[in-house]
Amino acid sequence: MLIYTIKRFFEMVIVFFLFLVISYLLFNAIPGNAFSSLLLNPLLPPEAYQKTIEAFGLDKPLYERVQLYIINFFKGDFGYSYTYYPRTPIDLIAERLPRTLMLFSIVNVIAFYTGFLVGKILAWRRGSKSETWITIGSVFSYTVFYPWFALMMLWFFGYKMDWFPLGKFLVPEKWYDSPYTSDEIFYTLIIFVTVSSFLLFLIFIFTRNIESLQNRRNVRFLGLISLFALAATYWTNGEAALKRFYAADIAYHMILPTFTVTLVAFAGTALLTRTTMMEVLKDDYILTARAKGLSQKRIRDRHAARTALLPVVTSFIFTIITIIDGSVLTESIFSWPGMGQLILEAVVQEDIPLAMASFSFIGILALIAHFIADVSYAFLDPRIRIKSEN
Amino acid sequence: MVESLLEVKNLSMHYDTLDGNVDAVKDISFTVKSGESFGLVGESGCGKTSVAMTLLQLQPDNSVITEGSIKLDGKELIGLSENELRKVRWDSVSIVFQGAMNAWNPVVKIGEQIREAMREHYPENSKQQNINKINELFKMVGLDESISERFPHELSGGMKQRAVIALALSCDPKLIIADEPTTALDVVIQDQILNEIKKVQDLLGLSLIYISHDIAVIAEMTDKIAVMYAGSIVEIGPTQEVFKSPKHSYTRALLDSTPSIRGEKKKLRSLDGEPPSLINKIDGCSFSPRCPTPTTQCKNQSIEMRLVKVGDDHFADQCCSGCVKNE
Amino acid sequence: MDNQNVERDIKATLKKNWKLFKQSRLGITGLTIVIFFGFLAILQPILFLTNIWDEATYHPVVGYDAEQVARTVVECPDQYPTREYQTKEDCPKVDEVNIRYLKAFNIQVEVGDIYESNVQPAPPSSRHLLGTDSLGRDIFSQIMEGSQVAFLLGLISAIIGVGISTLLGTAAAFYGGKLDTYLMRQSDLVLMLPTLPFLFIISAFAELKVWHLAIVLGTLGGLGGSVITIKSQALQVKVKPFVDSARITGGSKRRIMFSHILPNVAPLALLYMVFSVTGAIASESVLSFLGLLNIDMSWGIMIYLSQTEGFIFTGLKYWWLIVPAGLAVTLLAGGFYLVGRGLDDVFNPRLRRR
Repeated sequence: MLIYTIKRFFEMVIVFFLFLVISYLLFNAIPGNAFSSLLLNPLLPPEAYQKTIEAFGLDKPLYERVQLYIINFFKGDFGYSYTYYPRTPIDLIAERLPRTLMLFSIVNVIAFYTGFLVGKILAWRRGSKSETWITIGSVFSYTVFYPWFALMMLWFFGYKMDWFPLGKFLVPEKWYDSPYTSDEIFYTLIIFVTVSSFLLFLIFIFTRNIESLQNRRNVRFLGLISLFALAATYWTNGEAALKRFYAADIAYHMILPTFTVTLVAFAGTALLTRTTMMEVLKDDYILTARAKGLSQKRIRDRHAARTALLPVVTSFIFTIITIIDGSVLTESIFSWPGMGQLILEAVVQEDIPLAMASFSFIGILALIAHFIADVSYAFLDPRIRIKSEN
Repeated sequence: MVESLLEVKNLSMHYDTLDGNVDAVKDISFTVKSGESFGLVGESGCGKTSVAMTLLQLQPDNSVITEGSIKLDGKELIGLSENELRKVRWDSVSIVFQGAMNAWNPVVKIGEQIREAMREHYPENSKQQNINKINELFKMVGLDESISERFPHELSGGMKQRAVIALALSCDPKLIIADEPTTALDVVIQDQILNEIKKVQDLLGLSLIYISHDIAVIAEMTDKIAVMYAGSIVEIGPTQEVFKSPKHSYTRALLDSTPSIRGEKKKLRSLDGEPPSLINKIDGCSFSPRCPTPTTQCKNQSIEMRLVKVGDDHFADQCCSGCVKNE
Repeated sequence: MDNQNVERDIKATLKKNWKLFKQSRLGITGLTIVIFFGFLAILQPILFLTNIWDEATYHPVVGYDAEQVARTVVECPDQYPTREYQTKEDCPKVDEVNIRYLKAFNIQVEVGDIYESNVQPAPPSSRHLLGTDSLGRDIFSQIMEGSQVAFLLGLISAIIGVGISTLLGTAAAFYGGKLDTYLMRQSDLVLMLPTLPFLFIISAFAELKVWHLAIVLGTLGGLGGSVITIKSQALQVKVKPFVDSARITGGSKRRIMFSHILPNVAPLALLYMVFSVTGAIASESVLSFLGLLNIDMSWGIMIYLSQTEGFIFTGLKYWWLIVPAGLAVTLLAGGFYLVGRGLDDVFNPRLRRR
């Protein structure tokens, strides 16, 4: 397992270098030499020109420029943003990245889990009326034109019903006298979510060895309750109690985007789970499981769904990029000021350093997500795990 | 003590398919006594596996049991709810499936898959108790204890099959149904597995239903035998008796197509033709088109297929019971 | 082999597959939708050529038609909600006109009068089946133009993509070794490329036409994940006995690849092609929706226009600006997807019910 992870990691690093080189060449190939023409940008003072030329080595040959770009990438030096001068691209990304990460990870976990759950039920209830309708619904949401659908959702829930805010990630009025910046609250939220999901994972792992199913269920339930209690204590005491108000504001703004993306993104997973699960249900070991007298639920969850999960995870690896793409759209429709909006803005304003920096960072994000999915796939499938060890 | 553990009476079952009804099991009756081993023999597609599946109600969704009763220890199984059936499965009756290769879930460890069944039927057992029991079973079928922690794809075919036997024994069943357990194995391993099953059966005093197309194996394994053709039992009786003086010409044909080591040298005869499709309703004797020794009775379409007594505890189908003249 | 036999074989296979495809209700639904949009795409040039539609009025981009609509004159209240109007945006309704607005132009009318004027966007009428947009252009004609763009782009990019991935995937499976390693790493790289930001960048700095986009999308799709899938399929075919026997009888590598392996990979490739049309249509719409494409008219642009002009938040009041275009993208993409599902049933026997 470890060897596999390390091997995969090195492959990823190589791919990442290639990615950096190609993205540089891509920018370089833009007709009319984007850098030189944009250096005439009136927003930029003369010393910034000098800095940009130096940072990108614009007076040097292509080979050295590529080298310089890679070195700069690791130094985090991209010169200045044209539109946000004197802020640097790294500065802007550091501000935007947590917001994207927060929305992106929560949405994906929810969408993947819902999709898997729905697909499981679809395959299990094959031939029933509800299956037909859910399938039709899933096909619709799989192929619906996402921006259009998101706008309609925004119109209906945000405007017509007025249940949720119309985009943005906070209500500025509430934050006038705030002792915290939104970034601080974001970091608190991210840490909170990470720690609680880690605890949840620990509960799950440690209860795996309890033999009696009844006891196992009870212990898990107890663990969940205490986790909730812990979370409640955290938010009512100390500094977190003060932050609570602002955190709630951000969380409230996250509901509609999360809901919308989930509605659209769950369908792909659901349809694939349904197909793979239907294949798995024909396998002999399902019959063995039935003969063993296991409960329907256990056969479905433990035997059928567990095996059907593998191809679903594989395809999830392939679709991570699509999801990142989707989050770019989500951000621009719900005016969520994250990485996606940043890159769109940079492209429209022809802000080359910013566009390059954010493109590379989105690349890293995709790479990391890809890596995690890959390793967890190997963790799920013993056949790969063993093969890589030998 | 001789009492019937399993009593099957007039069992009929068909599959509902797009092309029409397939009558896989037609009016079958037999009993299995405690500690007895019962053989079910017939060509591929004659409905043997369907019988096995129906005994535990594991048949596919498109099958319909039209009539009959299955009594296990005096308890009727047909009509039980899924939850009631779950208690019977594995606890009283376990199955060794046709393709043991695929009987294991590829992503779950062997030990865990066995423990899972035990957890279901012995919820009060501690983990250590279960592990001890598995180790004991593994020793009995000749496997190493470390197998528990392995995944199915790490085992050879023979090891998987042994593990399946251990799995079948894990909840102390009274009856084991072995559905062609050795089909996918090579001859040497086949023999070992057969010995293993026999040894375990004697040791634990279990009843066994052994299903195979190989009449030689059945002869070695069983006390009583039923011969199936096109969904119905055509001959049933004590194994010795049936082998010595088969009364149905299909049984005769089956015996003739198998070489015998001890007996005198005989020319092997193969049976022409193919078993009939079960989709079409068959009037009269279903075997008559292929019968090597047809009589006038065979062609009679109005005659019903029914078992009649031909010897001590030995029954054969009435339309063909006279066909065979024993040399 | 004589050609007639081969022809008959192909015909028989097609007939059998069609029979299987017909059993899939979803597949047939999809096919109907695709054919419907195909018909729309062809219909528009025919209407222009036969002069049933004159270009000055119905042209999707430069056409103009000022439609006279009779509307009731009302006075909008200052306070909301009232009995008739929920919010400020509800007044005036589509068939009403605010008296204050007319007064501003010094038009003398009374509340309750019928006032005839040019309106844009005009609601659906017998002249304009789906109404007109804010520039007086016929929406139905725009939808037709949009389906031409969608078909052109979808099919070109799918053919390019599938062509590339089939060739590369088969080659990777057949030659293995360094070529295989290289192609797989390349697929990894393409898979990791954030497609949308990548397209943003390309489209922002180069003026993208439909053709360019089709080539870019096709190449990206062709180098990505489908190479891996096609390769694994080709690997399965490669170990089949008939390939061995072809090799033993002395067939050259290239011949075996083209005459034995490719035809067996073709069904999967066709499946990919159909699914990738869905992706291409969606990508185009997204890019035009963000205003990054240099195209005169497409479904994405229609939604883009209705959003930038603020019609989205009028809800269903100007539904003909919002709903037809969005539905068209959804339906055609969905139609191709359903056809793919139907084909999947044909080529993948494990999914069949019995």
